[in-house]
Amino acid sequence: MSESTFMGVQRDKIDWKPTIDYSKCDYCMECVKFCPHKVFEVNEEEEIKLIVKNPNNCVVFCRACSKTCGPNAITFPDKNTTTQMIKAIRKEENND
Amino acid sequence: MIDNCAILPCNGLDKCAGAVSREVAVKLCENNANEIICPVFYRVAEAKYNKIVGEHPLIVIDGCQTRCASKLAAEKNLRVFKKITITEEAKNHNIVLSGGLTPGESDKVLVDLILKGLVNEPENSGLISDVQDISCNFDYNTFQNGKFIFRIPRGAQIYFNENDCWAYVIGNRARIGVTDFVQQNLSDILYFTPPEIGAEIDQFGEAGEIESSKSVFEIVSPVTGKVTAVNSMLEQKPELINENPYETGWVAEIELTDFENDKELLIGFDKYFELVKRKVEELNG
Repeated sequence: MSESTFMGVQRDKIDWKPTIDYSKCDYCMECVKFCPHKVFEVNEEEEIKLIVKNPNNCVVFCRACSKTCGPNAITFPDKNTTTQMIKAIRKEENND
Repeated sequence: MIDNCAILPCNGLDKCAGAVSREVAVKLCENNANEIICPVFYRVAEAKYNKIVGEHPLIVIDGCQTRCASKLAAEKNLRVFKKITITEEAKNHNIVLSGGLTPGESDKVLVDLILKGLVNEPENSGLISDVQDISCNFDYNTFQNGKFIFRIPRGAQIYFNENDCWAYVIGNRARIGVTDFVQQNLSDILYFTPPEIGAEIDQFGEAGEIESSKSVFEIVSPVTGKVTAVNSMLEQKPELINENPYETGWVAEIELTDFENDKELLIGFDKYFELVKRKVEELNG
């Protein structure tokens, strides 16, 4: 399901995942229904019913789930920062 | 001005943004020949509204990003002429919604600003689109998965990012768009939100959105630069992206400002063709 690399960089080295603000989340689960990559997990038994279970499944630079979020509870890292980070890792790996 | 349109507002009676959406719809009908479609009644008795939605441009007003009104329009396969999202408008105008279920003072200010924006719309950007005569008659390689055919254009001037967007680079300009992978996954595209002409976009920044009944896709710009033109045909006919996302369905033109750096995170035809084949296989098993 997930890409193991993005632009030649190991996916788990790239900080790109949704963060849920639980003070805003109303557990409507629209994000879960939307995301085909199984990034989220629902557990109705727990107090916190929704978690980011598989952050590395999240497609780098995709923010689509946040656009389905009525209460605006999902945020992502700054794209520019992530881009610079990817470039830095690539440079470092090329120098190795 | 919005006149002689069908207005499909959100029905969020338990949310402030829903109340504001209703207020905007009502105001739009007070002084103009617009007609409101009640989303609740439309769902159970669509015959009442079929004539209105068939004969008038449709304005959809969503309260929040749950986009209930948009989803209803998509469900009924309606082409949307214009969309407004109250929470987005509030953010753009730096207004905090009151939170009440009847419009408070700040909500009324927002309603007025939205209505004024609709009156002044044609002058909004203040910039004239500068479309270049870029000929996009590409050669393609194709592959098939089930009933779906994927075409990928090849050529030295065509670049892709791993977010399934392409750039066709000529000199210091690029025309950008989405690939077949995006349009096949979204299926029928019903709405296009263009990037603003004159906007400065970073590589991987947002260059508009496209929306189908299945999903919203943020167009991830392959290049850094200034938007000089958008494909205005898509606002009337977003389905052109389904028909041919590389030629008639292009999205925007960008004046490049940092292409040498951008290239570092772009791939050419060979790599993208392999990548997209893998993605399709992973999605469809």
